[in-house]
This record gives sequence, structure tokens and C-alpha cells, in this order.
Amino acid sequence: MKHIRVRMAFLGLSVVLLAARVQAQDVMIVANKDIAVSQISSAELRDIFTGARSRFSDGSRAVPVVLKGGPTHEVFLNHYVKDNPNEFRIRWRKAIFTGQGSMPKEFNSEAELLQYVAATHGAIGYASRVDDTTAVKVLVIVK
Amino acid sequence: MPRHKLASLLCLACGWFCCGGLRAQDMDHLQIHGFATQGFLFSTKNNYLTMKSSSGSLQWTEGAINLNDSVSDKMRVGIQLHMYQMGQIGGPNVLVDWVSADYKVNDKLGFRAGKIKIPMGLFNDSQDVDSLFLWTLLPQANYPDDNRDFDLAALGGELYGSLDLERRGRLQYRGFAGESRLDANGGYVLSLAEYGLTFPTPPSGKVFGGDLRWAAAWPGLTFGASAQSQALDGSGPQGTVHLAPFFMTAYYGEWSKGKWYVAAEYWRVPTTTQLYFGTDGIWLPVDQRSWYPMVSYRLTEKLQIGTYYSHSVNKAADTSLPENHSKDWAISGRYNFNANLYGKIEGHFLHGTEVGYHNGRNPDGLKPNTALLAARIGFTF
Repeated sequence: MKHIRVRMAFLGLSVVLLAARVQAQDVMIVANKDIAVSQISSAELRDIFTGARSRFSDGSRAVPVVLKGGPTHEVFLNHYVKDNPNEFRIRWRKAIFTGQGSMPKEFNSEAELLQYVAATHGAIGYASRVDDTTAVKVLVIVK
Repeated sequence: MPRHKLASLLCLACGWFCCGGLRAQDMDHLQIHGFATQGFLFSTKNNYLTMKSSSGSLQWTEGAINLNDSVSDKMRVGIQLHMYQMGQIGGPNVLVDWVSADYKVNDKLGFRAGKIKIPMGLFNDSQDVDSLFLWTLLPQANYPDDNRDFDLAALGGELYGSLDLERRGRLQYRGFAGESRLDANGGYVLSLAEYGLTFPTPPSGKVFGGDLRWAAAWPGLTFGASAQSQALDGSGPQGTVHLAPFFMTAYYGEWSKGKWYVAAEYWRVPTTTQLYFGTDGIWLPVDQRSWYPMVSYRLTEKLQIGTYYSHSVNKAADTSLPENHSKDWAISGRYNFNANLYGKIEGHFLHGTEVGYHNGRNPDGLKPNTALLAARIGFTF
């Protein structure tokens, strides 16, 4: 009986861990519907989220937004920005405290981020799940 | 506004934001950020950076409040108020670290004007933002904490931008011109006072220069070069100081990959400071050549360690004498308690007395070698 309980506990833990695991292919890049582009290169995406670039390839303004933390945030930063959350924070703090930029707007949840992206011209962010694809544009990543 | 009132306002603002959720307030486009740090310095022999470090000194406090607002798609305005106390320099006065209006036409061309940070080498414009670094003290031959007031910012304008080189990375450029003024409570004014010169109005001079850096297509790899021309003039009841325009240069590279960070710089600063007391004059020629390599490694998400070796010589004098060279081995550690709070500790083994020392704090003369323990705790939002 005791062994069964232990096995069940391990099984439950494994299911929780697998569910919480987010991989790069699970992160979708979302943008406001109004932008003309429908695909973005990984280099362009990195440049936008590091502050090196402030415009999309069509010349319109890009407004990067991020999550405050969590597995989707970490996977996005690691895979697309090549930063960990601490490096990302330091990069933007440097821009702020030297007068060269403003911190991307941060959100507690994906739902809040998606709502902001849907309502803000030029906004670009990421999410692990997009229920309403009519509200935001899901961008295709090209090399 | 009287300075003490401004200081009180800064403290109140700090307190309000610290109690209000420990993070920056973002009211639509307006962003408010800030930091506060407290340092400790202990040295085995000489007193360092104007502190009574040989007895252990806590006289090292720093703080800033930053406001910036995107007023339109292309225009941003901002201000940073800064206060620091380091031994005999700084004080409770709140200074404008930078204040600027920034108009970005596109990624290739932007313009900012006001009191702007000066780009020089890897860290000049960010050297007073402690939270950005693993190091408690940056290499002092390049980024002297006691003399940074003059080097850090200028009243003027800057053109900046970047070019996308596609598969070859990105080229970033900045060019600036303006006037920089010594801080009345800064290290340069203190050094001049040690020669017997005081000034009713702090000396100032024209400055111009630029920075060019290439961010390679390989993420994390950057190479660059900076150059600037600077001059300084001031007069007081005892005499005058004149620094003819001189040209300083810096070459640098940095690379970060995963948990590793590596950087190196080489600087050359050739100057001749002329002090005149009536018809008598003192000429102080300096040809400083300084360089350092640094490396750091992130052991865990919160813990980072690193080391650097900083080397500086004054080629205009006998470099074998301790006052004309500085060699500094540093070993450092930083722990991030959370996203806002961190602590640092660092050991230094200093040989030579070229940088970081003031005679007023070492009236019995300087010993050639000193070991140093530096620690700092900081909060940033």
C-alpha cells in the first residue's frame, strides 16, 4: 500500500513537471494586428528585445513587452534573446540609468500581455498559448 | 531649490517607492526607477579613495532617482538625480546626473541634448550604476571613483544611431560635443586643493568625442573604440589651472556566452596639467597607459564570481616608482537576494600608488603595497 502511494506521488509530480515545462516551440511571438509584417527574423527579434532596434522591417515602431517572470519568459529570453532573466534586466537597467532607453512594459500574466498587445499599436510580445487569434497576430519566425 | 530640500525630496521619493511594492512605477509612459547602495572599505595600509579605509570605513553611500517619459513615438525626455558620499568627496548634495531630451528619427539617427553621459570605453557612461556590475570597484585606472564627476557627463548634444550589417552584425555609433565642469565636491577639486588652489567657480572645459562599436553577428561579442578631446581651465584667488586640449583613446572588447563573461580594455590618456601661482608655475605631465582583462562566471542563478587584473603606468615619468604605476588584482563575488537586492564582496591586492590615493588622507606618506577589502549592498528598482 505504501509503495503504491509513493509511486502515485512520483507519477503526480512527473505530470506536474511535464505540464510546467515550456519549450522554445511552445512560445509564440505575438504582435498587434495593425503591423504590416507577418514574419520576423530571429536576429530582428533579438534586436528589438535588446533595444538595438526600435522599428520593424516595414519601418513602423516596435514596442516590446515582456512577462515579469515564469517559464515562458525564461524560455523566450534564452532561446530568442540569448539572455537569462538577470542579464536581460541588467541590459535594460543600463539603458535606463544612462538615459538611453525605457524599460519594456512588464506583465504579471500572459492574458494581460495579450490584452495590451491587442490594444497597442506596434506592440510585440510572446505567450505560450493564444486562444483568440483574431485579437493579435502570431508572427512566423524565419532564420 | 535649496540643496537640503532637494535631498529631503529625494529621500521621501525613495521611501515612497520602496514601500510601494519594491518595483518601478509605470504610469502609462512615465517610468520611475532608482537605486541606493551602501559600501564598506578596509585597507591594510594606505587610506584609499579619500576614505579612512585603514580603520574600516562605511563612508560610501550612493543613490539616484530616475524619471523618463516617452512623450511621442520618437521623443523621450528624462532626468536622473544623483547623490553620493565617498570619504571626503561628494556629500548630501543632490546633483543632476543627466537630463536630456532624446529625439530618435529612426534606428540610424537619433539626437539627444542636455546634460548627457559621455561614452568612453566599455563602462564610462554607466560606471556610477553599481547594480549593473559584479565588481564592487571597477578598474580604477580607467574608471576612478574619486574623479568620475568630470569624466561622466557633459552639457551639450549627442548624435547616435546604429547600422544593421545583417549577417555581419550591427555597428553602433555615438558622437558628442559640449562642456564638462568639475564637481565642487569632487576628487579633482580636492586634488587641486592639495596643491593649494581653490576655486569660487569649479573649473570647466570643452569636450568632444565619439564611440564606435561593432556588435558581431555572434551574440554577445562586441569590439569598439572611443576617443575624446578634453580641456580644462579655472582660476581662483591663489592661481589658475590650465589643461590644454588633450586626446584620449580607448580600445575594448567583450564577450558573453552562457555563464561566462570576458572583457578587456586599453586606454591612453596623455595630459599636461599646468598650475600657476602668480608667475610661478608647476607642470604635471602624464602619459597614462592602462589596460585590464576581466573574466566572470555565474555559479548559480544568484551567485556570480570573477577576477580582473588592472595595470597602469605613467610613461611620462619613472615607471619604476610606486607613484607612477598601479597594479591591481581583484577577486570578486556577487549574490542577488532577489531582482532588487544584492550584495557584493571583493578583495584587492594593490601595488603602486598611481591611482586612488589623496595626500590629505595619507599625511604620513604612502606605502607601496596595500591589500583591500571592499563590500557593497545595493537596492535597485
